[in-house]
Amino acid sequence: MRTKLGVLVAGLGLVCATMPALAHHGFDTEYDANKKLTMTGVVQKVEWQNPHMRVYVDVTDNAGKVTTWNLEMTSPNTVRRQGWGPKDLEAGEKVTFTTFAGKVVESRGSLVSIKKVGDGRELFTAGGPDASAPK
Amino acid sequence: MKKLLLVSVSVIGFTGALFVQTYAQNRVTSLPAGGTPLVPDSQVNGPVPRLPDGHPDLSGPWLGGGSNADIEREGGLKAGELPLLAWAKELRDKRKEQDEPYVACLPMSVPRINPYPWKMVFSLTPKGVTEIYILHELGDAGAHRVVYMDGRKHPDDLLPSWYGHSIGRWEGDTLVIDTVGYNDKFWFDSRGTPHTEKLHTIERFSRPNFGTLINDFTIDDPGAYSKTVQLKFTARRVRQDVELMEDICTENNQAGIAGGYRLNSEQR
Repeated sequence: MRTKLGVLVAGLGLVCATMPALAHHGFDTEYDANKKLTMTGVVQKVEWQNPHMRVYVDVTDNAGKVTTWNLEMTSPNTVRRQGWGPKDLEAGEKVTFTTFAGKVVESRGSLVSIKKVGDGRELFTAGGPDASAPK
Repeated sequence: MKKLLLVSVSVIGFTGALFVQTYAQNRVTSLPAGGTPLVPDSQVNGPVPRLPDGHPDLSGPWLGGGSNADIEREGGLKAGELPLLAWAKELRDKRKEQDEPYVACLPMSVPRINPYPWKMVFSLTPKGVTEIYILHELGDAGAHRVVYMDGRKHPDDLLPSWYGHSIGRWEGDTLVIDTVGYNDKFWFDSRGTPHTEKLHTIERFSRPNFGTLINDFTIDDPGAYSKTVQLKFTARRVRQDVELMEDICTENNQAGIAGGYRLNSEQR
């Protein structure tokens, strides 16, 4: 499957007042609010683990180098309560995602949004799969 | 906008709980998936269920009802009103959020709550309710907290511990929990508000309607505060189909790696 580095967007000057933070640790200590990136890749694994759920995505750049992005979310319980489950995203699926990059280890990001390529539905959003289905 | 205003007015009594929800969960990650579902506004003013002994059922589960990011603000004080002694203020201002024991999955203790549900479990025996267990979904809140309801006193030889020693009693429909014997390791909030082993807390829990739990909270700690402090927190009843789930914090805690820092020695 051909994957390549998609759009690279630096979200400079993001609104600090709405800065996301993690429930278990702060956002600012881990992530760069001025580095918001959007990429396409293939899901390596989805960890429904505590204290934070994580999605690992292999992204291949134009030179063919593969980087595995470790994308942090909130707790798996929070996602589960909205109706999402393990079948909604599985290894091997091609996705487009947006993330804040890690402050020091860039490829450890705080996930903003993710959806499967060819499917307009945003995954793991409030209200669950029914609410996020394309109208 | 009009709708927003109406909603705001209808939930005015639950500002505390909603604030916790908003602050701790909507700020959560970029992909928070909505937070913990709460009972709808239409059910909040419903009748308060009662225990077999006639006291109000405070079981929950609840969301909110304590401090999280800043006990001063969340407890209803204005900035600077918390009467910290000079050394304690200096310590708070020096602390970094990443150094909080909670980040390393250690307990949060009283009255720090997390953005996940918690509940009280009343242990009913032939002698009545002999203990209340307070359970938090998040494992780093501690496995359980015991409140003795059998009339015992605090021991005089306590070893300092994360949750101290709690004894409870009813004053009418208010559950009063008196606790001493805390250690000084946990923080009241991620801001770093400290206390000492002299800490004595009094929690007065009341349930004015189906959807609301009030925690009138007293800090009595002459080691870190120039006078006793009275705070107020509000919790909201979690939606009735939501139960506590497993949440073992140490399972895969990767805190600090993206930011390039290590958990400090007090956290390990």
